[in-house]
Amino acid sequence: MNQQRLETSRLLQRFGFGPRPGEYAQAIKDGVDATRAKVLTVPANDAGAAAVMVPEITDLGKRPAANSKEIVPFSIAMRNQTQQMSLWWLDLMAMSDHGLTERMTWFWHGHWATSIQKLNYAMPMFIQNNTMRANCLGSFKTMSRAMINDAALQFWLDGQESTAKSPNENLGRELMELFVLGVGRYTEDDVKAAARALTGYQVDKSSGVVTFNAKRYDANPVTILGKTQTFNGEALSDFLVARDDNATFISERLWYRFISSNQAMPANFSAKKAFAGRDISAAVKAMANDPAIRDSKNDLVKAPVEWFIAACRALELTPSNLKTPGQLFNYLDKLGQVPFNPPSVGGWPAAEAWLSSATAQYRIAFAAWLIKQSNLRGLKEIPVGSRVVKSADWLGVAEWSPRTQSTLRASLADPAQFALLALCSPEFIVSA
Amino acid sequence: MDTVTRRKFLKLTTGAVAVGAAAPLLSLEDIAQAAIDRPLPANTPILVVVTLYGGNDGLNTVVPYTDPLYYSLRPELAYKPEVVLPLNAELALNPAMKGLKALWDQNKVAIVRGVGYPNPDHSHFSSMAKWQTASPAKNISTGWLGRWVDSQPEDSMLAISLGSVLPPLLAGAKRSGSALPLGGLVIPKGDLALQCQKLSTPVKKDSKLMAAAATSMRNLFSVSSSVQPVLKMPAPVNPDLPTVNGGNAGGDSNLAQQLDVVAKLIAAGSPTKIWSVSLGGFDTHANEANAQASLLGTVSDSLSRFMGQLKSTTRSNDVTIMVYSEFGRRVLGNGSDGTDHGTAGPMFIIGNGVKGGFYGEQPSLKNLYKGDLAVTTDFRDVYATVIEKVLKSPIGPTLGTWSGRVNCMN
Repeated sequence: MNQQRLETSRLLQRFGFGPRPGEYAQAIKDGVDATRAKVLTVPANDAGAAAVMVPEITDLGKRPAANSKEIVPFSIAMRNQTQQMSLWWLDLMAMSDHGLTERMTWFWHGHWATSIQKLNYAMPMFIQNNTMRANCLGSFKTMSRAMINDAALQFWLDGQESTAKSPNENLGRELMELFVLGVGRYTEDDVKAAARALTGYQVDKSSGVVTFNAKRYDANPVTILGKTQTFNGEALSDFLVARDDNATFISERLWYRFISSNQAMPANFSAKKAFAGRDISAAVKAMANDPAIRDSKNDLVKAPVEWFIAACRALELTPSNLKTPGQLFNYLDKLGQVPFNPPSVGGWPAAEAWLSSATAQYRIAFAAWLIKQSNLRGLKEIPVGSRVVKSADWLGVAEWSPRTQSTLRASLADPAQFALLALCSPEFIVSA
Repeated sequence: MDTVTRRKFLKLTTGAVAVGAAAPLLSLEDIAQAAIDRPLPANTPILVVVTLYGGNDGLNTVVPYTDPLYYSLRPELAYKPEVVLPLNAELALNPAMKGLKALWDQNKVAIVRGVGYPNPDHSHFSSMAKWQTASPAKNISTGWLGRWVDSQPEDSMLAISLGSVLPPLLAGAKRSGSALPLGGLVIPKGDLALQCQKLSTPVKKDSKLMAAAATSMRNLFSVSSSVQPVLKMPAPVNPDLPTVNGGNAGGDSNLAQQLDVVAKLIAAGSPTKIWSVSLGGFDTHANEANAQASLLGTVSDSLSRFMGQLKSTTRSNDVTIMVYSEFGRRVLGNGSDGTDHGTAGPMFIIGNGVKGGFYGEQPSLKNLYKGDLAVTTDFRDVYATVIEKVLKSPIGPTLGTWSGRVNCMN
């Protein structure tokens, strides 16, 4: 496979959400180094992102009584806010001129996986999403502190229930296992001690406001990973983030989502060293320059949202304009991935988990539905004589297999079917 | 899924309780159509695996209701002796499990006590991975039933998981079980179908993932051509029922609906030997009593209703159900009216071919290890028994050598 095409394809697909028509061909002309620099440099202004309307997400207050007059408008407002917030984020992913910010926000959403299932209110999820966006390429130390003070995360992991008298282990465990250190890098006693250090937080679910109640906080010294002192949430966060295991763990997670979910991370993966100061952008930059990005072994399956956004960009569709939002979320649900709604605190799966016969079926139906709503400009502008080969550029695919080429050739007379087969091809579902 | 639909599913799950065993099975036309191909030969054993995601509190499922320690260790969470459903002088079922109690009374339920593995892991994900891969010591990527699928002739209908994401349980090294979403299948037709099938041919240059992407489409055609006719739309939703206060460690919420589909397909003769269904929400760190009772009620009612449905088929003697969760919960409550992650828990094996009763030792409440129950039965004892007695296969390809067994099958 042509190395330049492969690396360009990976840079556009993995550090953004894939090219719009013409962008891949332009990137090939620009060369890999210029493309890499462009992909990694977040511009001061992003006209595409700025054009996305920010939804009005408000504090809906306490849930009215079950059979009251107020319950119906309340329920409708709850549903509307969740839907508007989800469409807003999908629009940002699809419409941003520069992809890295939303790509990283998406990564962190899967990392600090919090679901609206338990929160119900959009407001705390909206605040969390903006916190992740603000910190997505900044300092992980700052991000981790911000997440300790995040209402959605606290509520999701029962932080508001955890008191000195009876600490709840949920948040302390996941903080170490899934967010900062990685499984097996602490003991069960550390979990119990961390739970005590994290006591005292209280959450107002509808407004997303977190308060600290000193009366509920356990100020006694505890021993965590060999260190005995009085910790509070932020001190615990700083302490865990400062450990070497944090650099190992975050680089492992970056490797898993950006490089390969099947190959193990090599010990010399450069993102780990680059993360020494807990600077996320330095780690991302190192990762985009690491030899692993050129190694053909390191393919990745596009998760359903990634596949959908890549399709929107190629088809020049705006998620919030699709008919109808209900149908859109139904398809995403059938594929198993709805933003703000991860299946568990461990986030979404990867690789083969997205390649079941069930997802294949829904992907075909979903693609057909999207294609019906697109004018297919990007595809139709390619002269028919070269359309089979050049359609790889349209989708940012490095190379079609002979199988896919012959399938596409048989559908040249029908651009809608051509587009559907291309979007459902193994080469587009998998980032080679 | 948007939250509203998800909530509807939860409501449906509880709603199914009221419907009872009277749910209709297949129409004759449906059965005829599906059985055309190659129905499962009569008397072929069928395994139904029920995964409870989140860590089910075993002590409040099979309750040591006469042990004073049970009451002194978790006063706020303990069930009073007068509300539980006694099984013998020491143990009783959760009050919500009346359906399962009826099956127990018919000697169709084996309860394996204190099941787990060495060096229990308190992480949902690690522990569930150990249960599903049957490899507690080493991380591997194949599930124990996936390895069984590997050892069988290729057939995409052989092992089917309900829901669109395949659990590791059914992932093999060479091939895997199939996933079947609820709510029917839409299959391309005409030239598009032809082209999709062409696209589903792996080529030599394909990476492992690309080959898997291609193959998933091929399975789509073989699974759906047999299954399509017997699937019906989901039952209507009763919006007035309460919702479940679930936790956050994965799993599906519509167990009754999943089992409905399984019952229909078994009745229709689907050539499937393993079914996988799941229920989530057992991660009851807070407000456990209502949430767990509601979930256990769902498990118990769905399973007894499922067994009832099978009675009107020729396969009621062929089906064995196995129920497990990734761990039990801490013996002491955590003060949020919930419990934190624990270790050993009970497993249920249910079916007409099961020798009802207790197996394995009940973990002592006196000798806790760091606040947790001791593991008295290794899950591989149960798996080995299931492979030999239900799937009628040697355990070698799936578990290697393993000597423990649980003598719970006729």
